Amino acid sequence: MNILEILSYGFIQRALLAGTLIALLCSVLGVFLVLRRLSLIGDGLAHVTFGSTAIALALKLYSAMSLLISMPIVLLASLGILRLTKKGRLSGDTAIGLVSALGISAGIILASVGGGYNVDLLSYLFGNILAIKGEEVVIAALLCLGVLLLVTLYYHELFAISFSDELAQVSGIRTSFINSILVLLTALSVVLAMKLVGVMLISALLIVPAAGALQLARGFKVCILLAALQGCFSVVVGIIISIISNLPASASIVMINLLVFASACLLRRVMYPKYSN
Amino acid sequence: MKMRGAAVAFLISCLLLVGLSGCSTKKEPAGTGLQVVTTLFPLYDFSRIIGGTHAQVTMLLPPGVEPHTFEPRPEDMIRISRAALFIYTNPFMEPWAEKILSGINNKALRVVNAGEGVSYLSGSIDEDHDHDQHHDHGHGGMDPHIWLDFANAAQMVDAICNGFVAADPANGSEYRHNAQLLKGKLAALDERYRQGLSSCATGKLLHGGHFTFGYLARRYKLEYHALSGLSSDSEPSAQRMAALIRSVRATGVKFLFAEELLSPRLSETLAGEAGVELLMLHGAHNLSRDEMARNISFIELMERNLSQLQKGLQCQKK
Amino acid sequence: MSEKIVSTSLLSCSYREGRVLEDITFAVERGDYVGIVGPNGSGKSTLVKALLGLVTIASGKAMLFDTPLSDFRDWHKVGYLPQSLHLVNPVFPATVHETVGLGLLSLKRFPKRLTGADHDKIESLLEELGVYDLKHKLIGELSGGQLQRVLLARALVNNPELLVLDEPTAALDPDTRGRFYAMIAAINRSRNVTILLVTHDSGAIGEHASKMLYLDKSLLFYGSFDEFCCSPEMSSLFGEHSQHLMCHRH
Repeated sequence: MNILEILSYGFIQRALLAGTLIALLCSVLGVFLVLRRLSLIGDGLAHVTFGSTAIALALKLYSAMSLLISMPIVLLASLGILRLTKKGRLSGDTAIGLVSALGISAGIILASVGGGYNVDLLSYLFGNILAIKGEEVVIAALLCLGVLLLVTLYYHELFAISFSDELAQVSGIRTSFINSILVLLTALSVVLAMKLVGVMLISALLIVPAAGALQLARGFKVCILLAALQGCFSVVVGIIISIISNLPASASIVMINLLVFASACLLRRVMYPKYSN
Repeated sequence: MKMRGAAVAFLISCLLLVGLSGCSTKKEPAGTGLQVVTTLFPLYDFSRIIGGTHAQVTMLLPPGVEPHTFEPRPEDMIRISRAALFIYTNPFMEPWAEKILSGINNKALRVVNAGEGVSYLSGSIDEDHDHDQHHDHGHGGMDPHIWLDFANAAQMVDAICNGFVAADPANGSEYRHNAQLLKGKLAALDERYRQGLSSCATGKLLHGGHFTFGYLARRYKLEYHALSGLSSDSEPSAQRMAALIRSVRATGVKFLFAEELLSPRLSETLAGEAGVELLMLHGAHNLSRDEMARNISFIELMERNLSQLQKGLQCQKK
Repeated sequence: MSEKIVSTSLLSCSYREGRVLEDITFAVERGDYVGIVGPNGSGKSTLVKALLGLVTIASGKAMLFDTPLSDFRDWHKVGYLPQSLHLVNPVFPATVHETVGLGLLSLKRFPKRLTGADHDKIESLLEELGVYDLKHKLIGELSGGQLQRVLLARALVNNPELLVLDEPTAALDPDTRGRFYAMIAAINRSRNVTILLVTHDSGAIGEHASKMLYLDKSLLFYGSFDEFCCSPEMSSLFGEHSQHLMCHRH
């Protein structure tokens, strides 16, 4: 079957479109998260989504309605992670691990005592990039627009808190407010995008483009642009390669991302041998 | 400040645990008779019919949970260690069964592998895309949904019945009688399927999900195309989806099948793309919570499947 | 009463390990160059962090520009140069130019944007501090001394009235150290910037500072450098010989 024919299918077009939008917002947020040492927050919040969706299903709230329960819980959990890193003398990864463990164990407990469900929790929880609906492309577009708008408006504040919380505070920046914006946007993106493209893709798109951009970027703004570029490139190329070689799409996208990252590392050695160690 | 936060967290965890343990104490009354633990729904349904009034049959899998993601609770372990019979389908379907049993010290426990000796089918998903071989080590490449072939189901009934008789010879004749009746119903069901699916507009069973209905298709000479392989971890490729959409369009059917209990996202996408409607089939390894509450039987589920199949394949009702 | 740039009364701070600062009362006037000295772990850094609102105050009061710290909003009047080595993530992808630009944020309103004039200001300051050629370098590519100057530029770019420096010379060799203190003294004189400088080498700072604050959990001495040298408390604290060494001027 030739590529052009497959590209004419609506589900592939929606995958390309929504995938690119989600890659864009994830890779931009990812730069701040990686530098704030919160890289794994995507995974952590996905686990909380699992736990909170278990609650929603136990209350017989399905599909979009389950967001009524899981959205506020995940937003709160993201603030909880932030609070733990500030007040609990914990590093970001420990705080994320803690909240993530709570999410997954609560989910498992609920799944086994809640008298069961009417649908299988796991299959229900994770989306697939090839199964995105028309209205979900609109959701992805709105989400992307919202995230990019807020990141643009608060660009300097986000830059400042990523650089140094202390210096930002002495510059009169309300650091806890800006930090909250960052993790809340991340939580929102994780909850919504997980249903669309699945947790593996979200987690990878939050980390790998940022890590790749950090290898080559000469400047903070450049870094964000490079990450966004890598994210979008990986979705488009990953999907096309998955069509050609008949492979699952999300895994191909992640692989392309890792390839770009590896190339960026090599390129760094060639371009800046002095600073490569 | 810190103390208050910690106190709140502590309180929440306590409430959660207490509240939840409250939920879990519903449970069926600790009845008398032969204690039988089954894993999946078909075994549970067959066992309770065979056991009749002499046995207390329970099912391990909570409603709505996929067999692959199951994890036993302490209570389950206790139940198994007090049981006389443990019945499971086969090592492909419940790879965790052996692990559970190795942790149980119950010399009186009789273990029945209900799928022993049935004719297994390998689970390759398609013929027109042979390079899409699914090597599924978890299932050993064997399709574990053996009960969907009613001849197999009858053999499972025999295996279960033998287990009952061996465990409780005193009531043996009654168990055999019940099993005989059940096999009669299964044979009648088989006949209804054979009749009902004999003159259909299409013989193509197109399923937008994981490979489940291979046995059913084999028995009634249908051509089965599933979107993806046996493993619930495998993801379909875009080519595979496009191929299925083309099949649907080429066949000219108005319906695409999907499996109940699982998320219909992929099936919905395919159906939308091909411009057809979705019809749900039941894999029967587990029930939803609502179905469990309605006390639905295996035969009823299969009747429902038959009428869905007749609708989807445009068969003439007889 | 003239304006106090910094003042505290009975200021105390504690960490989990217990009290690290006890009942500190002092005031700094415009144009002062205060050297804050004391042994390791005496609470010097904690004191300046408390003054900047970075450490919670357990009891007592702190004021900046005669405003209680909790109400203080004019952060553009304050420049802060932290102990850089702990602070800056070496892989952070910011250029020197971008880093100095961060210093301008306190004056900007939402949404914060840098103008062409801002960029000119950054570049002329980099030139003044002799690090103009580094403006496109990443901060991770700088030597300790270069990074120090860049962070100083960041602290100065708003023309602050108060400059707080926390162990700014830790990464520098003794020679550069002396030059750095002299540079701060020049800023203090030419721009009339009030300086609070934390350091552990009381000898070198003595050459330039107008006032000395000696801290060891509590405030042991606060006054001019000459008083510091003649003070009997100091000689009893260090012994006459060390006091002589510390106060010896070239």
